[in-house]
Amino acid sequence: MMIWLENGLAQLQQQSFFWMAMTLLSFWMGQHVYRLLGNTPLLPPILTSFSILVGLLLILDTPYVEYQTAVMPLQMLLGPTVVMLAVPLYQAFAAIRQDAWRILLAVTLGSSTTVLVAVALCYWLIGDEVILNSLWTKSVTTPLAVVLAPELGGLAALAAAFILVTGLFGAILIPPLLKACRMDSPQATGLTLGVCAHAIGTSRALELGTEYAAFSALAMTLTASLFAFVLPFLI
Amino acid sequence: MPGLMILIFFTVFGGALSATLNLPLPGSIMGMMLLLVLLISFRRVPRSLAESVTSLTPYMPLFIVPASVGLVTQTDLLMEHGLELLFILAISLVPGALVCAAIMRWGKRSV
Repeated sequence: MMIWLENGLAQLQQQSFFWMAMTLLSFWMGQHVYRLLGNTPLLPPILTSFSILVGLLLILDTPYVEYQTAVMPLQMLLGPTVVMLAVPLYQAFAAIRQDAWRILLAVTLGSSTTVLVAVALCYWLIGDEVILNSLWTKSVTTPLAVVLAPELGGLAALAAAFILVTGLFGAILIPPLLKACRMDSPQATGLTLGVCAHAIGTSRALELGTEYAAFSALAMTLTASLFAFVLPFLI
Repeated sequence: MPGLMILIFFTVFGGALSATLNLPLPGSIMGMMLLLVLLISFRRVPRSLAESVTSLTPYMPLFIVPASVGLVTQTDLLMEHGLELLFILAISLVPGALVCAAIMRWGKRSV
């Protein structure tokens, strides 16, 4: 019985679509957990999916390269998805009517400050070049960062991890921080969440209210495109 | 023209253009720029493209999963610097958030 089961498991793993199936399954589970917990910003679907897959890879003792080859079709779809971001960006530009200069200034200076502080701290405390290069995209939305990071001499996986952690910290820290400094307002808090905490911040903003979310989504899109267009030329 | 086709064509054009001009921009970002220019000049989003955006957006994180799982190859680095990195990522948020919010609130009456 045990031998039969082990054989079956081994056969499953040999199927070329096995890791595609596991990736889709884990993502689907992540989406369900996210919805079950009332769309909490603290457990985005990708985090659940990531944890399940890493666990599986370790249990089945599969090297990452093997996994990566097996799920290449999914990774390839990232390209067209990044191109797709032109649509929300166009809509964001169309949506800024009032305060355009104030918003652009807040997005540019706010995002540059948080990234430069992180890079400077990393330079002093750690000094590792790959980590440093993967930090530049820490406030950029993940699909863009995954494409950008290798171009900047960083690692896509590290960049994605930094972005996830930044998003979680930002979603937790920013609203109380701004409240404590008496700087909160739907526009200010929403925009700050988008600039510093991208998509996770935006899902936190959605909990606070629609105006928060609108500003956060706008800020996230502007920050990401600013970095995508400017960073490759700077570094 | 179906939306997905537009996206794939721009991915191809973007990659080709970026390579031809020897730009450091990844092809898909170049493609995004080209599509943005097109949208701005048309002043509207074609319906087929808008539909593709609506249906593709929820899957966006799925396409990032493969790259994120690559973190398993970096365990040594994370063991060594994990705590420092958490500290850096948390601390660096504070000045950025304050600058951003200050600009948004500057000259406006508090609520």
